[in-house]
Amino acid sequence: MTKGNTPSNERRRPDRAALAIAVFLAGLAGLIFWDSSRLARINSYSGIGPSTIPFVIACGLLLLAAWTVFEALRGDFPERERQEIAPVVWIIGGLAAQMLLLKSFGFSIATGVLFAAAAAGFGRRKLWFTIPAGILLSLGIWLLFAGLLQLSLPAGPLEHLFW
Amino acid sequence: MKQFFLASILAGALALPAVAADYTIIAPANPGGGWDQTARSIQTVMQEEGISSNVQVQNVPGAGGTIGLAQFASQSKGNANALIVGGYVMVGAILTNKSPVTLKDVTPIARLTGEYEAIVVPAASPLKTMGDLVEALKKDPGAVSWAGGSAGGTDHIAVGLIAKAAGVDPTKINYIAFSGGGEALAAILGNQVTAGISGYGEFEAQVKSGTLRLLAVSSAERLEGIDAPTIKEGGLDVVVENWRMIAAAPGLSDEQKAAVSADIEKLAKSAGWQETLKTKGWQDTYLAGDAFAEQLAKDISSTETVLKDIGLVQ
Amino acid sequence: MSTFEFLLQGIVVAAQPMNLFYALIGVTLGTAVGVLPGIGPALTVALLLPVTYKLDPGGSLIMFAGIYYGGMYGGSTTSILLNAPGESASIVTALEGNKMARAGRGGPALATAAIGSFVAGLIATLALAFVAPFVVKLALVFGPREYFALMVLAFVTVSSAFGDSTLRGLTSLFIGFTLAIIGIDQLTGQARMSFGIPDLLDGIEVTTLAVAMFAIGEALYIAAQGDRGPDKIETVKGSVWMTGQDWARSWKAWLRGTAIGFPIGAMPAGGAEIGTFLSYAAEKRLTKHPEEFGNGAIEGVAGPEAANNASAAGTLVPLLTLGLPTTATAAIMLAGFQQYGLQPGPLLFATNPQLVWGLIASLLIANLMLLVLNLPLVGLWVKLLTIPKPWLYAGILLFATLGTIGANPSVFELGMLLTFGVLGYVMRIFGYPIAPVVVGLILGPLAEQQLRRALAISQGDVTVLFTSPIAAVLLAIAAAALIVPLILRARGRGEVLSQLAANED
Repeated sequence: MTKGNTPSNERRRPDRAALAIAVFLAGLAGLIFWDSSRLARINSYSGIGPSTIPFVIACGLLLLAAWTVFEALRGDFPERERQEIAPVVWIIGGLAAQMLLLKSFGFSIATGVLFAAAAAGFGRRKLWFTIPAGILLSLGIWLLFAGLLQLSLPAGPLEHLFW
Repeated sequence: MKQFFLASILAGALALPAVAADYTIIAPANPGGGWDQTARSIQTVMQEEGISSNVQVQNVPGAGGTIGLAQFASQSKGNANALIVGGYVMVGAILTNKSPVTLKDVTPIARLTGEYEAIVVPAASPLKTMGDLVEALKKDPGAVSWAGGSAGGTDHIAVGLIAKAAGVDPTKINYIAFSGGGEALAAILGNQVTAGISGYGEFEAQVKSGTLRLLAVSSAERLEGIDAPTIKEGGLDVVVENWRMIAAAPGLSDEQKAAVSADIEKLAKSAGWQETLKTKGWQDTYLAGDAFAEQLAKDISSTETVLKDIGLVQ
Repeated sequence: MSTFEFLLQGIVVAAQPMNLFYALIGVTLGTAVGVLPGIGPALTVALLLPVTYKLDPGGSLIMFAGIYYGGMYGGSTTSILLNAPGESASIVTALEGNKMARAGRGGPALATAAIGSFVAGLIATLALAFVAPFVVKLALVFGPREYFALMVLAFVTVSSAFGDSTLRGLTSLFIGFTLAIIGIDQLTGQARMSFGIPDLLDGIEVTTLAVAMFAIGEALYIAAQGDRGPDKIETVKGSVWMTGQDWARSWKAWLRGTAIGFPIGAMPAGGAEIGTFLSYAAEKRLTKHPEEFGNGAIEGVAGPEAANNASAAGTLVPLLTLGLPTTATAAIMLAGFQQYGLQPGPLLFATNPQLVWGLIASLLIANLMLLVLNLPLVGLWVKLLTIPKPWLYAGILLFATLGTIGANPSVFELGMLLTFGVLGYVMRIFGYPIAPVVVGLILGPLAEQQLRRALAISQGDVTVLFTSPIAAVLLAIAAAALIVPLILRARGRGEVLSQLAANED
């Protein structure tokens, strides 16, 4: 990551992404206020109920949001490196696919897809090779951890061939 | 012990009705806790006694067992090979968590074991009897701090019942919830609180060594080998049992239900199970059929009342 | 028989060849499962406990000890090599350890972790044997207010040890606090920030958050650099083994970590993470190489790893002397002990000395076995990093999700892993430090609960927080830790300090 925060002399324009972060923080605070307002008032000898601490935290978030706006306007946020979108999409897609496939297709197939997608995110896009390789690797891991070490990993059609 | 939930369901669905059924038991808690230990003990005994040749245990932890219960009710409908372990804590958790799935959505089979609550004070405490403690509670409920398990759990419910029976407003009790028995016990031993309440097993070693004074237990009759009066003897009509049970899936036919009940009865009566109860220090409180159903209904309604009284359930 | 004779006798039994073999199997199994990110020693022991049932009491006890130590060490290995902490107590290890691994110093990092664990385990186990009764008396003095003061101290020391921007560090901490609110409020049973979703009622699992933010967040960040980064990490720069300088810098950190970890582990509500936080902060303050912190300082691995192991032995103090299981691991150990007819409690040392000393001897032997198994493997482990980036990161993601699935095979948990992974990625882009989020999630609820308990016991009287001598001292140290750097900064040294307090990434 860049070493940021060196006071810059030239005035940059307001940092939009940083402003978005401020909005996010304020939104989080609003969410806490809303949620804790619905909690039952429970008599407690401590004088601190279930909503007191969330209230304090939400106030803190609001202050931090204001501070973030201030720094964003001054352009105090560090430079950011250019981010490539495609690899990120590959990896997130792989994780999402694993999540959705896990219950019905079992550990090996779901995790094999994740493996191939992650490799694709890092530039190896030969899916005809990486998917089977990933599934084989996952199956080996499944046999080791679920079969031998008794971890409970979801089984699917592939795993049933072995058990 | 291969934990193949789906595998066993599939196998169970395909297999012809055999003499010894395969079972999958859901332990709706993390490995190591009371329900998990119960499930694993059942697994061992069932296999050793030949009640079932293949028993799997699956942990579905979370929210006082209500997550496991919800998953069990929705995924095991009509499956006579699926079982779930549960207990009194679930009754309270269903109410406080506003769980949409309740014990009505499964088929309770039998109560297997149980533990009674014990009320203790540090050895140095000026309170000598349950009567002293109740007196102090009546005088200033806020000055009597109770250490126990999580809010709305068995310990909390028992304190609420005691306050109510003593004519003290249950919302005025100063109950300090601790996570896990260990932390509460440390607070009692360290003289941080007035009294402690938890399952007798948590306190047993300290009571025997004299660092804690046992004031009362929450059973209906005095317990064998425990030198303490019941709460009832002190004139407060409070009996609380933290029981553990086993339940089957919803939507079973009468024959299926009878078959599961028979297997569980065989388990509870087996020498292996009795031996397990002894080594684990669990009470044998086996209760099945209509008697259990009646007890369960009574517990649910009294728990709901007391949780409302304490103010935890609206 | 005296204490010492009991211990010797225990060691003689434990050192029989067959028992050594069981210890080796236990350590191997424990390491194999414990190495999964998100599966800590508690789960490892719970999963593998049945394996030990088939042996005689002596053998099963020693295999059990092996599994326990193996599970603990496995967590550090993934922290260092893959930046995926196996358990909450090795989160701090990842901070410096992974930086070292990336700089080609994975070998020394693994070695200092292993040797530090061994040294700490050795000292702490001996301390357990000889001073447990005194330590436990001290630990019981800690009530809610003292714990609250300890949390305040932990917050102050920890927050000063992370990151170079106060705004971003605090923001990270508060995001952690916000996540910590989620779930059932321990003291009143109210569901907070759960929005009617049952899976949220138990709150956010610390290991899920840590694995997601560290491992997945980083994989995303590295992938997003495209071809700019080097294709391979330089795995070995200099020796695979610790150099003389490494030893010189490590041994004091090991001892300090042990001294911090053991008493905190012995406290019923201490918890292993807090010891590692405090140790990290202490090492950062005391080091002669502050410029290396954040870029892979060996003290930052040696100290927290020693603290982690010492506090694990510390946990046994209340467990054996009072029968108090104070952590999840201890609760499972309790279940294990009962299997061997050991009923922990105040009378245990008197009524069942053979078993207790057998256990302590087993722990010593298992600890040694861990070192024997792992030191030769360091070279092999480090080779893992020579795998080309696509396969390495695909493998990291595979193992990160494997741990989560193994701990709790739920789609929801995987969804959280993904969500927090993306959050960790976004935070990296904008230069927010990751560690404070995890710290907030761990310490936030502890501080809240202890404060509320303290005030409930005092019926709302706030002065009790300061009137206990221990609490007052802890708060005074916290205040000093907060104010002294401000004074130093005012004197102009602050500029240098903040320059040197290296960035998170």
